[in-house]
Amino acid sequence: MRNPLNEVHVPVVDDLIEDDYVRSLALAGIALAAFLTTLGIGGLLFPDSIAGDLAGIVFNAGTATATARLAAPIVLAALGGIFAEKSGVINIGLEGLLIISAFVSVYATSLVGAGNTVLGLPAIVVGFLAGIAASAALAGVFGVVCIEFKADQIIAGLAVWLIALGLAPFMSTVFFGGVNTPNLGVSVGWSYSAAMVVVATAASWWTLNHTAFGKHLRAAGENPKALDTVGVSVSRVRHAGVLLSGVLSGVGGSALALSIGQFVGSGETMVQGKGFIAIVAYLFGNYNPIGAFGAGVLFAGLDAMQVRLQQLGYAVPDTLVQTIPYVVVIVVLALVGRTRLPEAAGEHYETED
Amino acid sequence: MNPAVHLDSITKRFPGVVANDDVDLVVERGSVHALLGENGAGKTTLMNVLYGLYEPTEGTVRIDGAPQEFDSPRDAIDAGIGMIHQHFMLVDPMTVWENVVLGNEPTTWGGLRVDADAARESVRELSARYGFDVDPDARIEDISVGVQQRVEILKALYRGADILILDEPTAVLTPQEVEDLYAVFEELTDQGKTIIFISHKLGEALRAADDVTVLRDGINVGTVSTDEVTREDLAEMMVGREVLMEPAADPREPGERVLSVSNLHAEDDRGVEAVSDVSFEIRAGEIFGIAGVDGNGQSQLVETITGLREATAGSVRYLGEPMDDVSRRERIDRGMAYVPEDRQERGLVMSYELTQNGILGSQHDAPFASSGRIDWKASRDHADRVIEAYDVRPPDREVTAESLSGGNQQKFIVGREFERDPDLVVATHPTRGVDIGSTEFIHDRLLELRAEGKAVLLVSSKLDEVQGLSDRLAVMHEGAFSGVVDPETVTEEELGLLMAGESPDDESVETARVYEAAGDGPHGGPAADEDDDRRNGPAADEEVDA
Repeated sequence: MRNPLNEVHVPVVDDLIEDDYVRSLALAGIALAAFLTTLGIGGLLFPDSIAGDLAGIVFNAGTATATARLAAPIVLAALGGIFAEKSGVINIGLEGLLIISAFVSVYATSLVGAGNTVLGLPAIVVGFLAGIAASAALAGVFGVVCIEFKADQIIAGLAVWLIALGLAPFMSTVFFGGVNTPNLGVSVGWSYSAAMVVVATAASWWTLNHTAFGKHLRAAGENPKALDTVGVSVSRVRHAGVLLSGVLSGVGGSALALSIGQFVGSGETMVQGKGFIAIVAYLFGNYNPIGAFGAGVLFAGLDAMQVRLQQLGYAVPDTLVQTIPYVVVIVVLALVGRTRLPEAAGEHYETED
Repeated sequence: MNPAVHLDSITKRFPGVVANDDVDLVVERGSVHALLGENGAGKTTLMNVLYGLYEPTEGTVRIDGAPQEFDSPRDAIDAGIGMIHQHFMLVDPMTVWENVVLGNEPTTWGGLRVDADAARESVRELSARYGFDVDPDARIEDISVGVQQRVEILKALYRGADILILDEPTAVLTPQEVEDLYAVFEELTDQGKTIIFISHKLGEALRAADDVTVLRDGINVGTVSTDEVTREDLAEMMVGREVLMEPAADPREPGERVLSVSNLHAEDDRGVEAVSDVSFEIRAGEIFGIAGVDGNGQSQLVETITGLREATAGSVRYLGEPMDDVSRRERIDRGMAYVPEDRQERGLVMSYELTQNGILGSQHDAPFASSGRIDWKASRDHADRVIEAYDVRPPDREVTAESLSGGNQQKFIVGREFERDPDLVVATHPTRGVDIGSTEFIHDRLLELRAEGKAVLLVSSKLDEVQGLSDRLAVMHEGAFSGVVDPETVTEEELGLLMAGESPDDESVETARVYEAAGDGPHGGPAADEDDDRRNGPAADEEVDA
């Protein structure tokens, strides 16, 4: 399949970036920036037009903060998904990890009581830690089932999602008398979410590209036997990858719930498919944390814009906007066609003795 | 001085099988030692004991005289042993240096950063020391198999290996790369390293090793120095009986024209021309051999003939009919058997049982199918027949193809294809990875097919094989035939020159009985005729109407 963007040549970009896929993404980014600039200028010149409204939304601080809030679970879960999948375990249970951590973080915060402290830690921090622990524990179970007992990763991943989808609203009903918890009246500021996302993206990038663990992770997903024969335990590396997906998703889920101080458990819960969009985000970013960050922010930004447009009276159906990530991934796969799965992803590995 | 390796009465039992029975092996420091034996003789098991993958049931491993107990390869690595597996243990998308240091990465910043510069430097230093030409920053997937093997050796050396074990190191190499590997052996032993390599090829043991230990059915038949032993002696030690080294092909008159290829052109997967203007034909009762270094268009030529690749120009006629629009399935039905080059990719479905693999290609036909249903009884009987006749081990039709060793997979494919009752057999590397006993058997079967009046196209990179079996022998170089010769009279030197694309003196190569297709294909212009003349000499005047 030919990537039409390969035919487009921009001198500076061509010099800087060798990799075709990254180059394509960079070109797309430049095009988006150009569009936004045009929109901004259009909006300034004709404030009463649709362009004006759109510009108003895009350059609105509210949209930016909403984007930061919505991006946290997507980007963090996507980073987690990268760690798991690079190690050879496809974790499609990210959605479930987000749900369970969202609920547990709110529950733990409410147990401590907003404003109280435990061991000097404010309730909200305890909530965060509890959410991360819950997500990591569920991921740990998933890892044991997949790596030690060689269960099918896709089915086990779906189970993680379904368990969390049932368990979180159920526990909410048990402890709070309804699928939605009451609002605790605490909230994590958008700047904290943004900071967590940026730090986690940078740290993930470094870990994957510049540490020995990152190399082992990659080898475990590409040719586990090569790793095994040099004396590194494949299952240990894979467990670490899966646990990291739990920890990062836990941060994302907790950040989502604690940013409004409530867990909403009706329907698809407040997570609303962000875990699946996270999978799309890291595939879009070709397993590169920075690419996943870009894709996550893009999807979150579109979601935030959609909400604002509705507030302004434009009837943009949110269901349509929610299909965007999936449409994007189909377009990307069709045109660029180079998202390359790790060779041994989804395969069990057995040592020879 | 103590020997580098001393395996002292090693016995390794698996449930129901004794893989190694009281085997002694002594390898001197600085020597090259070949471990020779047929498939299933216990060579790899013995080396896995030495490398710590298996614990011996009885016996002791001594390194430099000191008894060792290895619980895992890690212990063996620490004792200075490195193993280069037959299937390379490399991570394809990673670079050379990343692979070499994998698991032992030099780090800085308290372990938070892999020191890429130090790693590159180590790789460069080792490469320079042993005369390897390896770029530390190349990706594994971009380098040739021969270079990949060197990366494997570098990996072992980087971990401080003094004793290198290589499992069938030449199986995947071209003749040139094999020579280069022997040079590497010399360089390594000159610098005090000890090499043990596993092989089932006599010639390579004689050529590359100082000493040879022959294993048969898990028993050490003897250790001999290569100075004082002949091929025949070694073959007898391996097989346990006398072996006919040269397949005997009686000359016979060929019959009807079965396959004719004229002015064929084909491209490889990247769209580069891989076959350029090839013409030849094969008659019933004739074996036409194609020799050449792998990758000179043989695969594409064969695929075009068997219907797996489309020709860009020229034509293939089979039993007198053009094959342009004839599907692969139709070609099978018309009696074209094919032993593919890559047995795991194209020859077998690895996760199928042998019963199912045995009917591949004939699954829609009687006796294996009737009114859309597969007759499993007939299929099982067929698998049993192939297993029995071709000595496939284990003799169990219910095992999956992936659980067979490479040689046995090959025997099963050869059996399935030969038993199709074909008119034309296209066999590419039919004995690759197969032990001598079975090689002899496959050669005999090929000659029987010839005697039955079948046409055989034999492609092989083993010169003695194509030379010994073929009635006429073409040499392929860069997509074209650099010559068609009489295998009886041509010398290895002349073949070597042709394989390198040079023509030896015209007089020194006697051309074979040639039945060249008339150049009446779409590109059969004067240039092609001239080409034919140069290639075939005076014998080309025997015209055939197409």
